[in-house]
Amino acid sequence: MSYKNLLDPWIILPTILFALFVVPVIWIISSLFGDYSDNWTHIYNYTLSNYIYNTIFIIIGTSIGTLIIGVGSAWLVTTYNFTGKNILEWALLLPFAVPPYILAYTFTGLFDSYGTANNLIRDIFSLPHEFIFFPKLRNVYGAAIVFSFTLYPYVYLVSRMAFINQSRSILEVGRTLGFSKFQVFYKLGIPSIRPAIIAGLMLVLMETISDFGAVEHFSVNTFTTGIFSAWFGLYDFHTAKQLAALLLIVVITFLILEKYSRRKNRYSSGSNVFSPIAAEKLKGSKNILASLFCTIPVFIGFVLPNIQLAYWALNYKLEFFNEKFITTAWNTFYLAIVTAVICAVLAVVINFSIRYKKNKLLNILSSFLTVGYAVPGLILALGVSQLLVFMDNLLFREYLDFVLTGSLVGLILAFVIKSFALANSTIESGFLRINNRLDDVAKTLNTSGWKLLTQIHLPLLTTSFLTSMILVVSEVIKELPASLILRPFNYDTLAISTYIYAAEERMFDAAAPSIAIVGVGLLPIIILSRLIVKSRPGYRNNDNHYQSY
Amino acid sequence: MTENILEIKNLRHSFNTDMEVLKGINLNVSRGEIVSILGPSGCGKTTLLRIIAGLENQSGGTVNISDTVVSDSKNFVPTEKRDIGLVVQERALFPHLTIIKNVEFGLKGRRDDKYKAALNLLKLFKVESYANNYPHEISSGEQQRVAMARAMAPNPKILLMDEPFGALDHALKSELRDETKKIFKDNGTTAIIVSHDFEDAISMSDHVLIIDDGLVVQEGPAKDLIPITRNNSFKIA
Repeated sequence: MSYKNLLDPWIILPTILFALFVVPVIWIISSLFGDYSDNWTHIYNYTLSNYIYNTIFIIIGTSIGTLIIGVGSAWLVTTYNFTGKNILEWALLLPFAVPPYILAYTFTGLFDSYGTANNLIRDIFSLPHEFIFFPKLRNVYGAAIVFSFTLYPYVYLVSRMAFINQSRSILEVGRTLGFSKFQVFYKLGIPSIRPAIIAGLMLVLMETISDFGAVEHFSVNTFTTGIFSAWFGLYDFHTAKQLAALLLIVVITFLILEKYSRRKNRYSSGSNVFSPIAAEKLKGSKNILASLFCTIPVFIGFVLPNIQLAYWALNYKLEFFNEKFITTAWNTFYLAIVTAVICAVLAVVINFSIRYKKNKLLNILSSFLTVGYAVPGLILALGVSQLLVFMDNLLFREYLDFVLTGSLVGLILAFVIKSFALANSTIESGFLRINNRLDDVAKTLNTSGWKLLTQIHLPLLTTSFLTSMILVVSEVIKELPASLILRPFNYDTLAISTYIYAAEERMFDAAAPSIAIVGVGLLPIIILSRLIVKSRPGYRNNDNHYQSY
Repeated sequence: MTENILEIKNLRHSFNTDMEVLKGINLNVSRGEIVSILGPSGCGKTTLLRIIAGLENQSGGTVNISDTVVSDSKNFVPTEKRDIGLVVQERALFPHLTIIKNVEFGLKGRRDDKYKAALNLLKLFKVESYANNYPHEISSGEQQRVAMARAMAPNPKILLMDEPFGALDHALKSELRDETKKIFKDNGTTAIIVSHDFEDAISMSDHVLIIDDGLVVQEGPAKDLIPITRNNSFKIA
């Protein structure tokens, strides 16, 4: 790279961001090169293999679960008309609003030996007190089920978006070549949207690896519970960082592999003539099966936990909905929107820089920026907090003691680092779908840099931009460890309220703020999910014609 | 003596060290001339066009436009500063802009002036009635007319066309070729057309280059071009 390139704003900005994002992560990874305590030796000899086994098992189970539910339901609602489809196509996003730990709490409330569901079965069939119908969920199987039903919307959303943008003619050609409808689905439908599916699955896996609340509630030892045990059980922060560093190395390796495989599969529409997929009406048993396939995930991932939460809330703490609640909800919503806008804008700028400058270094930097998503919230919060203390000492020591530390800056920075991968993944897929020929032609029409971005790319990225905002808003509303550590004094969010009650197993108290999290999380999901189809370039009201790009 | 608008000397290009795509191309194009570059798929003709446009940076050789070096070992003028137009087989119309806005896109000046200039071009290509439609609402032939109108709008020094009629049916191709040639000749447009279609070359151009394996294997007037039906290629008599 020449010195002239180093002064290019399209290279400088991503590089500064990279530095800001990567410092907390480097701080964690550097711990691997320090001393290893006796606690580390103990963990290495006795518990590390268990962490690894459980983490891998949950990852595989969740991947299978989210792929079947997410891709299957996206394909069904895009290519078929069946009973309830109009509701289900957006209802399938609803579990986005339910954090895994809330589903885990409600599942134990429902399915434990003496939970609501087992009691109901015993009462209905007059069965003996010791009879247990539903199997125990406090294990790796239960964890994989909880993650599958709360995280499949990541795969559903990106798959649905990709299927909507897929031309009917590709599928019709498959039929003329003798493929059955199912063969068209798995031989043409899935391979042609594979980059989107991989992007969605990546988000699921990073969310799964980062989770603490659900696995801790199910008493399943994973890397994250190990980190927490080392920190709060053994009071060995250094060992906790070393475990986190190991987890980060796994994630980084995974990201590099994903990036490599995606580069080999860059798909964009080769034709300017686009025919939207015409949904086919299903009848009889196929209609019922399709409805059931799409209804079950919504029921288990959203309806069932909310019934349990409503039952708890109505029987106990309804007075939670007061002025304090409104302030808390506003704080949460404000943080979520600010973070979502920052993440989406940064993702657009960085991906545009990569595309426009065709710079390999920027591509590598971008991969590193997404690692923050997999960093457990508490560890990330400590990294950011350390960074802010350092900057306060550097910039403001002579005037005031702490300006950045304890302010919203730290909290938003942590959210941005943690949520950037969500925005980036979707924006990156959006850029991949824009034909490079548009850029070539635009350049010959005296359009480059900022003008190319704002006049050509941004209007074509509206869907991706909104989708990335949905993902980030949903994530921030649910995120709590970073909030707990970095929030300004007395600055509560809904997640903090929920966590404090849930950590004490006071689920009746936790129910109302949990419902509020779901409620606030629902608003952007409902509004923005409706905009996804309408925002497609060339979309007109009362007009089903689309234009590919 | 006719003025050379494009001059290419000993142009070489390789995408990696092992495979040279262009192996020393020389080409001169005069103002108002229409030149076709013919050759089989993968022979390097599209790469040559992209290098002229500044979308690729060649490994060796010089590209001059209007006696100015736009690309050599030391200089590189970016695409947007080369004053060239580009038409591609996929048309690449901006899907979020109406037809008139697509054509206005590369124009500068007052809004009214841009509108009038764009509308005149649409009239020239007989697509003015679709001015307020979106690209997906018109046929592929009409889209190709709009793509050419858009490329001509800023009045570029050279119009580069990559398989411009490739996706059209035979009758439409023939009609559009005749109309386009007339418009180009009436406006004095300098154009380079990359194609693998014998008919495109003979009906559109004044001069033809045949490229194979990165080298110019034949060059001459379009009227002397004759097809060889045996292996679906062509030669200059």
